[in-house]
Amino acid sequence: MIDFALGDELELVRATARDFATDQLRGALRDHESQRELAADVHQRFAEIGFATLEWPEGLGGSDLGSLARCVVAEELAAGCPGAALALDPLGPALYPLLELGGSAALQDFALPLLTTPGARALLVWTGSGSRARLEESGGSVTGQVPWVPADRVDLLVGLDETGAWAISEGIATTRVRGAGLRAAGASSLQIENAPLRAHWREPAAAARALARARLYSAALLVGVMREAAEFSRDYAQQRTAFGRPIAHHQALAFLIADMAAAVDSARLLLWDAALALDAGEGAEERCAGAFLEASEQALFVTPNALQILGGHGFMQDYPVEKSMREARTLSLSWGGVDAARECGGREILEHTQPLALLAEGG
Amino acid sequence: MDLSLDAPLRERLAGIRALGAGQIRPLGLEADRLGRPTPPDHDFFKLLVERGQGRTRWKGEEADDSKVREAGAQVGDSRSFLCVSEEMSYWDRGVAVSFPGPGLGEPPLLSMGTPEQRRRFLGPFLEPDRPRWGSFAMTEPSAGSDVAGIRATARKQGDHWILDGDKSFAANASRADWIVVWASVDTKLGREGHRAFVVERGTDGLGDFSVERKMGLKAYESTSFTLRECRVPAANLLGGEAHYAQRAGFKGAMRSFNATRPMVAVMAVGIGRAALDESLAFAREHDLGDDPRVRDRLERCRRKLRAARLLCWRAAWLADHGQPNILEASMSKAVAPVAALEAASLGMELLGEVGARGDHLIEKLFRDVKAMDIVEGTGQIQRILMARHLVGLPRD
Repeated sequence: MIDFALGDELELVRATARDFATDQLRGALRDHESQRELAADVHQRFAEIGFATLEWPEGLGGSDLGSLARCVVAEELAAGCPGAALALDPLGPALYPLLELGGSAALQDFALPLLTTPGARALLVWTGSGSRARLEESGGSVTGQVPWVPADRVDLLVGLDETGAWAISEGIATTRVRGAGLRAAGASSLQIENAPLRAHWREPAAAARALARARLYSAALLVGVMREAAEFSRDYAQQRTAFGRPIAHHQALAFLIADMAAAVDSARLLLWDAALALDAGEGAEERCAGAFLEASEQALFVTPNALQILGGHGFMQDYPVEKSMREARTLSLSWGGVDAARECGGREILEHTQPLALLAEGG
Repeated sequence: MDLSLDAPLRERLAGIRALGAGQIRPLGLEADRLGRPTPPDHDFFKLLVERGQGRTRWKGEEADDSKVREAGAQVGDSRSFLCVSEEMSYWDRGVAVSFPGPGLGEPPLLSMGTPEQRRRFLGPFLEPDRPRWGSFAMTEPSAGSDVAGIRATARKQGDHWILDGDKSFAANASRADWIVVWASVDTKLGREGHRAFVVERGTDGLGDFSVERKMGLKAYESTSFTLRECRVPAANLLGGEAHYAQRAGFKGAMRSFNATRPMVAVMAVGIGRAALDESLAFAREHDLGDDPRVRDRLERCRRKLRAARLLCWRAAWLADHGQPNILEASMSKAVAPVAALEAASLGMELLGEVGARGDHLIEKLFRDVKAMDIVEGTGQIQRILMARHLVGLPRD
């Protein structure tokens, strides 16, 4: 029966992630952004907690806690700094093609070594519909360009499209770029010349699942980013006075703040709904696409308005909200962006006669 | 975390679905076409009572202990209640409101009424001999969401209260056995002066019932009436004098609103869902699915309605666990009607000129759904309530 309680285990996971974000990330967010990396001890603490292997099977040393746990952790970390959340997670969303297409063997061969290499990063590149990456795979190698990845080093590059995935780890030249957002994770363009394929999997259904999980990961980061921006600007609006009262008590802002709170909660509920469907093994591609889309749209409503509430201060880098706005815009470009996600949901809905029926359709 | 529905609920929903397709929706369309509420002597209402509908949630005197009283009888099952409401509204929200039963008069009777008052006014709804209705009247021509502004007056005269005033938009009022009427003993006191009375049908001075003409939701009556030197026995003062000595009348009224906000919000989801399903059917029939603009909008409607439903469920889940839900309840009510109107409006766009004819179900839903952003506190009122919680927005 309908129950929104996360349960003791996930509440503990959430509290741990929240504390980590508070202690290690939020206070240093501008340092992390300008240095484009995090200190070794932050990486070490992250590894000790076991956040990187939350979704890994227990047989490979993971905690097999599923997608809901990932969503909870990613939101909390991104509320601290989404770039740092990516920098700290050696696999990030690149885990999903390995897991869905390659299985345990791929985790063992490709992922496990990265966990023990300090600062190592695996990157996922979407090469399907909506991508601006230009990569061609032929004759057992990959050639082409990727305009941007949120990293300054690439130990493993996983390409994913509608039909399957591949993995390479050599022949990748990185050129540092400034990056519009997520700079704490780094920012590079990639030039790839005849990089030999280490693996190549073709399985459209599994590729769709991997994409769904990648979208969910980004959606969770977006929820964290917008939550932080909403709360920061709300606190500010209660302290800043204009025309004799806190600006939050002018109805134009009071209503906006209410709508921002509703935006964050709506996005989070769709996120959890999708994670639950994924964890139950239901076909969840459409829900994950919807969660990503909702998180993107709402974050692009919330974060510019958070900046707006701070007025001139919001535009200055003394405050974190301008960063939130850039992070939100950048995150929502992932995996073909919002249009690709819209297309996923829009195609799927036509297969239904009663897409939101409380009881199984027609049953 | 779990978002599944348990087996007893699914069974109830299956029953509503059968009734909905066979009776509720056709009745709603008929009322809309004829432009009048379904008459109280309609066979449909008799059928409902025979099938066990139209009953009170009050469990009778045996169960009438302080726990039930405090809980307002909703604790524990408001999630099921929500799903039932959504499914009913999916088939026809107007017909759903016209269902016999104590209606919105029930929550204040449960939360404020004395045991004797519950026995007198809810007792006949335990095993009703015929379709019976209760009603609730707070709103006045000049006082809607700002209930502190009601002008109806009550003055004590011997062992009676004399009520004077005008009430508006009360559902099922002209067919009700009784109406819970809010009036003020001193309008200068604002909410502190409010009292609730159970005014029984046939009471001298209760009259001028006028069924309003509405844009939609025509299947149930929204009725205005007047109180002119209306003499109500002192025993009908809800909760008795002691109740008001203990706390302000306004709190009782606000409490019943709190319990119903996610419920009204989820009704909007039901209406929006109906519009979405009809839109999909039309799109399929006319091969509109090749147009990405059409697909995008259908996708958006589903997503927004799904999020709205989750907001409603969360508010109900909090209530079921005795946790404060004012912010969440208002949030659901602020969000859902907008999502539902968008779904109906999109449906009209897909229909094009077919919608303009005024005889399509989606066109009816488009008119029906707007009320949901108004009843139980407008979207603007919900944002005020949310802002009080979020940023301490002052009341004045």
